[in-house]
Amino acid sequence: MSAPWALTRKLILDSRWMLGLTAAALFWLSWLFVFVAARTEQAIREQIGENDPARTMRFLRGMGGGSMDFSTGAIEMAFWNHPMIILMFCVWAISRGTAAVAGEIDRGTLDMVLSRPITRTTYLLTQASWALFGLAVLGAALVAGNQLAHLRFVLNDPPGLRVVLRPAINLAAIGFAVYGYALFLGAVDIVRWRPIMIATVATLAGFILHVVANIPSLEEWKWMDKLSIFKAFNPVELVVKGDTFAFNTGILSGIGAVAIALALIVFNRRDLPTNS
Amino acid sequence: MSMIVTEGLSKRYRETAALSDLSLEIRPGEVFGLLGPNGSGKTTTIRLLLGLIRPSSGRATVSGYDCWRRSFEVRQLVSYLPGELRMFGALTGYGMLKFLSDLRGGEGLDRAAAIAEQVMKLDIDRKVRTYSTGMKQKLALAQAFADPVDILILDEPTSALDPSARNDVLKLVGAARAAGQTVIFSGHVLSEVEAVADRVAIMRRGRLMHIEDMHARRALRMLLARFADSVPGDWPAELELTLRRRVDEQTALFEHRGPVPALMAWLAALRVEEVAVGTEDLRALYDLYHGPNVDDAA
Repeated sequence: MSAPWALTRKLILDSRWMLGLTAAALFWLSWLFVFVAARTEQAIREQIGENDPARTMRFLRGMGGGSMDFSTGAIEMAFWNHPMIILMFCVWAISRGTAAVAGEIDRGTLDMVLSRPITRTTYLLTQASWALFGLAVLGAALVAGNQLAHLRFVLNDPPGLRVVLRPAINLAAIGFAVYGYALFLGAVDIVRWRPIMIATVATLAGFILHVVANIPSLEEWKWMDKLSIFKAFNPVELVVKGDTFAFNTGILSGIGAVAIALALIVFNRRDLPTNS
Repeated sequence: MSMIVTEGLSKRYRETAALSDLSLEIRPGEVFGLLGPNGSGKTTTIRLLLGLIRPSSGRATVSGYDCWRRSFEVRQLVSYLPGELRMFGALTGYGMLKFLSDLRGGEGLDRAAAIAEQVMKLDIDRKVRTYSTGMKQKLALAQAFADPVDILILDEPTSALDPSARNDVLKLVGAARAAGQTVIFSGHVLSEVEAVADRVAIMRRGRLMHIEDMHARRALRMLLARFADSVPGDWPAELELTLRRRVDEQTALFEHRGPVPALMAWLAALRVEEVAVGTEDLRALYDLYHGPNVDDAA
């Protein structure tokens, strides 16, 4: 067996429960959001006394104006903006990012692994590949929950697989960006608590800036959004139009890739001390 | 050609010198002991050889490969037992051996499992987290001795072992030497290093103080003699006799490395009142650099 595959097997063993439980939670949350969207649509239909779904949609869009969208996809995706969903991607990203170097130094096992014939680059890229695979699994769980729930619940205009993939990939890209800076922070440190703390604070601060910048009564603070990576995640827009998908996903992936490259540079040059 | 060479190897951490100007050569197939108290630079030397840390100055090579720039090639040739051993508790003993073997392409797993079960008497189906410290050390030793490598680096390999397991380790070191492997044996237990090493380096505060050839040392006899007259001032060169210390006007301690019959003939020609012949263990040499009478500031 090759060294990267041996390391990957070890990573699966280390984090399979976390990944499995998080993916299961995302699957059922996604399912739940479809259920809630179906109930919401049903309530709207009952309120306006219409049984024609197409007419209902025209009415709702007309009522809300150009900036509003009450399509099924938009209602479903509004829930994907829930902090709990974003948090789960970020927790996976920070957990894996800080475990790669600082975590292994902290528990004293990096010596044993890197005294074997495996390059530091291979070691770190294997770690990053597993983390990326995990983000893909989380995104797939969201999509699967959504699409399978469409088979169960009656909706006016349920979004198809290709449409839902856009916000799922975008969300995974958010996780990739967070993973990138968590990995970098872990690659320069010798204890795990510090990169966890810094990455968590940075991520929460970004989220708070995004929330504050989007409060309608705080228009003058709109500039804060530019400081947050969460500006690059708008699932409703991605389902309704999808104009920002390529740009936002590219920016987020770029942040992640640059941070991983920096982590590689630092990790290849640094001393690896004992954990004592 | 030397297997391991260091030239002016140094490592500094800000103001602290962990290793200063270490120059030595280790020959293929020899067991090289590293002796010194905590903080003397043994582990720093080992970590520099493995490319885990970068030298501040100087260089080290293993089989011609630079230990920092060509660390991957070096680690293909070396198996390392860390002094501070940590393992993945969720794995079984066998799982741990398989993981470590797979990092080397799967080589040596069967031999490692055999050493662990038959020599170290370990139950390798148990989770590593249920192992005692000594059992973990035995497991890591099984892996180190099973790896198909040219060089073994053992950092305090017996620190957590019971006496019988220590003997097993010393036998395995002997077997490794017989198989042509080069062994670096770093430790605190002088008798163990003395038992297996071909040469011993004594380190102090990051500096190499002395390298002792243990074969020559084993041939050394200490001769304590009291003469009826005063201690003789000279003797034939072929005796290979050296005055270590003059105890008083009539008594002296000599080091003798030459043939015994010539020594006996020389003594018979003198008026000797008392004589004692013995050997000297590594402790006496070690104490020259780390004993109670050594100036700490030196």
